[in-house]
Amino acid sequence: MTESQKKILEMLAQNKINIGDAQRLLNAISDEEGGKNNAGHENTGHETGKEWKQSVKTSPKYLRVTVTPGENADDHGDMFRDGKVGRVNVRVPMSLIRAGIKLTALIPPEALDKANSALKEKGINFDVRNIKPEDLEELIQALGDMQIDIEGGHGEKVKVFVE
Amino acid sequence: MNWPPMLMHIKFQNEERDFGLWLPLFLLLPLALVVLIILSPLILVAVIVLWPSGWGMWALKVLKAAFDSFCAIRGLEVDVQDNTKHVYVSVV
Repeated sequence: MTESQKKILEMLAQNKINIGDAQRLLNAISDEEGGKNNAGHENTGHETGKEWKQSVKTSPKYLRVTVTPGENADDHGDMFRDGKVGRVNVRVPMSLIRAGIKLTALIPPEALDKANSALKEKGINFDVRNIKPEDLEELIQALGDMQIDIEGGHGEKVKVFVE
Repeated sequence: MNWPPMLMHIKFQNEERDFGLWLPLFLLLPLALVVLIILSPLILVAVIVLWPSGWGMWALKVLKAAFDSFCAIRGLEVDVQDNTKHVYVSVV
């Protein structure tokens, strides 16, 4: 157990941070040890819990979706030049997602019922009324840990992440 | 509070034409404000008429949410291209 991990557990024991914070901090440390984080931000074990908490709790600003074509292995061509796969780069501000979720509160209940039944028809058993503005910040914080990487059959790469 | 977007950059490119436009949204905002002031008596009447049914409050909330959403698009960037076409929209 490293010095930083001990410090986090001590802060948890002293009720300075809650279980969720401790988990995030411990995850951040394990990422750091796995060499995933930037070079130059080394875990020296001398940083205070507050500094760690600030670095981890930085709120994500944008949701990014990128699609990049891969090399076509069959004929050594380029998927992009062949016109089979395009390039997509979308950057959505988190403030727009916040505003969108707040807008759902204004949707009439009949429309929400229709949306729910349409989702159910597609096999998605989810009630859109469960998305509440109060849970928004927690949801956005959780998005900070999310990264989706998909590689298609033609080698195209789809990435969804926050920054 | 988020400030409204100031500029919008739209770019469209295909094999035949290349079209780019910088929209000065900051110039459109005073115009929108003037239109809002002119229409405000009508909006007020509509809200008063709709108030008993509950839709008046809803209309006001929708107006606020629409303005908030407009302010929130600042930073939006969409860049889509294939081998012949390119569409780029950026809100600054």
